[in-house]
Amino acid sequence: MFVSDFRKEFYEVVQSQRVLLFVASDVDALCACKILQALFQCDHVQYTLVPVSGWQELETAFLEHKEQFRYFILINCGANVDLLDILQPDEEAVFFVCDTHRPVNVVNVYSDTQIRLLIKQDDDLEVPAYEDIFRDEEEDEEHSGNEGDEGSEPSEKRTRLEEEIAAQTLKRRQRREWEARRRDVLFDYEQYEYHGTSAAMVMFDLAWLMSKDLSDMLWWAIVGLTDQWVQDKITQVKYVTDVGVLQRHVSRHSHRHEDEAHALSVDCARISFEYDSLTRPSLRLALYQHWSLHDSLCNTCYTAARFKLWSLHGQKRLQEFLADVGLPLKQVKQKFQSMDVSLKENLREMIEESANKFGMKDMRVQTFSVHFGFKHKFLASDVVFATMSLMESPEHGSGTDSFTQALDSLSRGNLDKLYHGLELAKRQLRATQQTIASCLCTNLVVSQGPFLYCALMEGTPDVALFSKPASLSLLSRHLLKSFVCSTKNRRCKLLPLVMAAPLSAEQGTVTMVGIPPETDSSDRKNFFGRAFEKAAEGTNSRALHNHFDLSDLRPEVVLAGWQDTPASPGWGLQGGAAWLPHAQAVIELKAEDRSKFLDALVTLLS
Amino acid sequence: MFCEKAMELVRELHRAAEGRLPAFNEDGLRQVLEEMKALYEQNQSDVNEAKSSGRGDLIPTIKFRHCSLLRNQRCTVAYLYDRLLRIRALRWEYGSVLPSALRFHMSAEEYNSECQDSAFLGPESHSGKMDWFNRYKKSLATYMRSLGGDEGLDITQDMKPPKSLYIEVRCLKDYGEFEVEDGTSVLLKKNSQHFLPRWKCEQLIRQGILEHVLS
Repeated sequence: MFVSDFRKEFYEVVQSQRVLLFVASDVDALCACKILQALFQCDHVQYTLVPVSGWQELETAFLEHKEQFRYFILINCGANVDLLDILQPDEEAVFFVCDTHRPVNVVNVYSDTQIRLLIKQDDDLEVPAYEDIFRDEEEDEEHSGNEGDEGSEPSEKRTRLEEEIAAQTLKRRQRREWEARRRDVLFDYEQYEYHGTSAAMVMFDLAWLMSKDLSDMLWWAIVGLTDQWVQDKITQVKYVTDVGVLQRHVSRHSHRHEDEAHALSVDCARISFEYDSLTRPSLRLALYQHWSLHDSLCNTCYTAARFKLWSLHGQKRLQEFLADVGLPLKQVKQKFQSMDVSLKENLREMIEESANKFGMKDMRVQTFSVHFGFKHKFLASDVVFATMSLMESPEHGSGTDSFTQALDSLSRGNLDKLYHGLELAKRQLRATQQTIASCLCTNLVVSQGPFLYCALMEGTPDVALFSKPASLSLLSRHLLKSFVCSTKNRRCKLLPLVMAAPLSAEQGTVTMVGIPPETDSSDRKNFFGRAFEKAAEGTNSRALHNHFDLSDLRPEVVLAGWQDTPASPGWGLQGGAAWLPHAQAVIELKAEDRSKFLDALVTLLS
Repeated sequence: MFCEKAMELVRELHRAAEGRLPAFNEDGLRQVLEEMKALYEQNQSDVNEAKSSGRGDLIPTIKFRHCSLLRNQRCTVAYLYDRLLRIRALRWEYGSVLPSALRFHMSAEEYNSECQDSAFLGPESHSGKMDWFNRYKKSLATYMRSLGGDEGLDITQDMKPPKSLYIEVRCLKDYGEFEVEDGTSVLLKKNSQHFLPRWKCEQLIRQGILEHVLS
């Protein structure tokens, strides 16, 4: 059920209890978690935080902890599956789910007590009505009762029997129609996956309702929203709307600056909105304030794709562009902070004008920045990239170590971790662009008919950086954008992309990602989940849907004849259960099954 | 040479790092005590002979043996006293229940309550470490109960002034279940974070299982 009053029905319920938090591994979830942690610490609510990166971890952690807790909070995981079925909790366990994944599973919506959704209902949810999906079973029992009646006279009995039979057939036909309608409704509802309002914003709203919001929390909400935008999870319209909401909060928090007598100390965080003021609009270049302008132009997908920087011609165009703006090459290749001040002052307007000339109309972007101390200034997208790289970097051992690093980097006291994350992010962006360049130059992106397909080979440099789902999705989206800019084939521009990257050499698995077609007005709905699910099912491929969001859904797809695969961890065999909760756009496959999986996908989508 | 064994005992403790309690060197102590007994007996016979036959040339030997006896005594007392100090520090470090590994390092022989006071240890006395520990515990507990009115005050908590009631901790190693005051338990797994009352976590933080997260 949906929680209407967050404060009464959620916060005050858990305030006196001990709760267990399950947090998914993405930046939005991290931000929401930080906000909630801050609230809990303020009110002395005892909690335990468990990071989870997939359904298996969620289940194991739940099994371990379920005796000790009654209240569970899930952040960015769990709304799109039947939780009660997967976790099999006790009667008194209560789950609060704050998740951006849509569509919300109907069982979660209509469960009365155990599952409480912390989701705003004005999000376009379009949940089907209760009567369309669930049906009381009482009416059937009345009929079976009637059959036992014995009539006194045979003729009477016969007519009554005929009537009964007629009534029953009518009932059965109605029931069949109802079930067909139900299947259609559910199919329409669950066909596409998309994302709703950022979890961090929902948590910030709760904090604001209780008047406990701080500028730190506001900053985390901003980072959560920006993460959704960077990863293309929400539409541009929704982003702009949400930015408007946050901007009101920012102006509320920063009204003190105008009054000199009450100016904040230098060490306090000051959040500013970077769009409207003429002197400080923000550019769509990734990390440009922490890098040299030239590097930033080369490694931001938007500019790299438009200039076609993988070709010589593209490099020349970049030089032309810089000449047009009026920036000397030496300056541009220096670190941004060491550029001449006179150049930096009018930088943004100059770049924007020239960008318009070169066909890049969206150079300007609405975003926020924070500064504290004398030299620390970050844009929201910088923090998103840094945290994302920290979380997915292969250098930290296990997944939970990286989660901890990333969580720490969001605190203001741990700036060294944030800077480390920025370095990792630079490496990631560079590797992404280089991989894209090599893929396009060697024509690795081929059209399979209804979709484009690209596979990264085992020995590609930096392929280890792309084994995690978020990095791979980012790579795929950028690849699609670049491909659309580079190809002349009009039909290919409208195709979606399926990308494969090697995941683990010993287990021989690959990760596959499906990206919807690139259009300006796309509504960011992804149909690949269903398609992957059906294709895996149809071909008996050994597939593992483990990740949550843009990631797979557990549970493992178990199909006939699979019991004899070697028991490697993560390929759990659950005797014959063919229930497939809504799969999503990333799955892991055994390499040998790849080709038949692709063939099945082709037939399915054409 | 005489007193070598005693020196070894002292050296052993000197080498042990601060706060660690090495195993009780029963053999070494026994050898020292035997040496002392032998010296004493030799001295006894020499003194008798010197008195009866008036041999003055035995006197330096007697004096020398007496000095070694005194030195042995001093070394053994230093050894035992230092061990007692370390055991006392253990109480403050680990609380009233010692981990079993540490308990093995102590001698659990018969009780000798005067061991901390006696200046001279006869050859029969084995210091009852466990019992000393128990008595120290009891005496500390009695003292703590006498403070703070009716309830007593636990002075082993909060060695530094605390800033807040609850602290955020992160688990560094898998520990298992950990009991909280109202009977429920928390499962401590690697990299999970918890927000628990400060006094519950202090012991574990000292042991290095939890880490205080400052945000």
